[in-house]
Amino acid sequence: MTITPYQIVAPLLSLVAILYAWSLFKRDRKTLWEVVLWALFWGALAAIAMFPRLLTYLTIATGIRSQANAVIVTAIGILTFLMFSVIVRLEELSQRYSKIMRVLALREADLEDKRPK
Amino acid sequence: MNVAVIPALNEATRIAAVVKAAQPYVDRVVVVDDGSSDGTGDAARAAGAFVLRHPENCGAGAATMTGIEAARRMGATNIVTLDADEQHDPKDMPALLAALATGVDVVFANRFGQCNNIPPIRRVFNGIGNIVTLAATGMWISDSQCGYKAFGPKAVQELKLRMNGFEFCTEIVRETVQRKWTYTQVPVKVLYSEYTLAKGQSFANGVKTALKILLRSFLR
Repeated sequence: MTITPYQIVAPLLSLVAILYAWSLFKRDRKTLWEVVLWALFWGALAAIAMFPRLLTYLTIATGIRSQANAVIVTAIGILTFLMFSVIVRLEELSQRYSKIMRVLALREADLEDKRPK
Repeated sequence: MNVAVIPALNEATRIAAVVKAAQPYVDRVVVVDDGSSDGTGDAARAAGAFVLRHPENCGAGAATMTGIEAARRMGATNIVTLDADEQHDPKDMPALLAALATGVDVVFANRFGQCNNIPPIRRVFNGIGNIVTLAATGMWISDSQCGYKAFGPKAVQELKLRMNGFEFCTEIVRETVQRKWTYTQVPVKVLYSEYTLAKGQSFANGVKTALKILLRSFLR
């Protein structure tokens, strides 16, 4: 069996992603449940990269028959992931906007936080 | 000190009644006018509530967090949140506060815990909301999407909502898991009317909310 660079890089990338999620859990920024969901996603990605034959079980549903197709599907998955990240960033901006509204509302009601920052 | 927090958007015709009904059960009623254009804030103030106003509409989650922050700064030890559309009966507040007195950190009201006349479509939507919440947090709450909740001293100090919209209900469940709060569920009465049904979330909005919750739990 020939091992392609992709089959080495993808599992390593998945490992880094899972370790990152675990570090977020240790810092109380992710719940254990969220780490499990994250690990399932990246684990599946790594498994497909290492054992492309796994996809034969999905051939009927997806039409993926070769390693090249698997790479394309993975690329689409990563792009989707990036798009979702952008959506989350937009949401964060909206949250910052709400924070400003909150500060204004509290200030107007004389409930401003007077503790030193 | 017990404080009721009521986020409100364009509820000028209802808010006074909700404030007056809540006042006997808490020390203070805080209304957050979330950018209303119909005088909701003035109506709430006239009814005796402490009113904060968002200059622009931010969403139910953001308004709730503003109210909680205000209550904290007033020195609240317990906070009860409820809707402004008369859907929740303030007469259930003593039951929620009594549950807090047993030492739990959060009390989730459960509209399905007693014989309420809830339209079937609402039951289906709430069931889907519960399943999405379970998928996102790993915790099953019988009525996860209900805005009627009570928070004890620990939760009052620690609660931090980031989500602006209706997703905040699921975020509270997540906070319960994350911060290891103890919780209980108390059956409450729900008063559905044509008005409250018309004001509820649309199906499309519900789907959007569900996707946001799942996405957030994954990418957080």
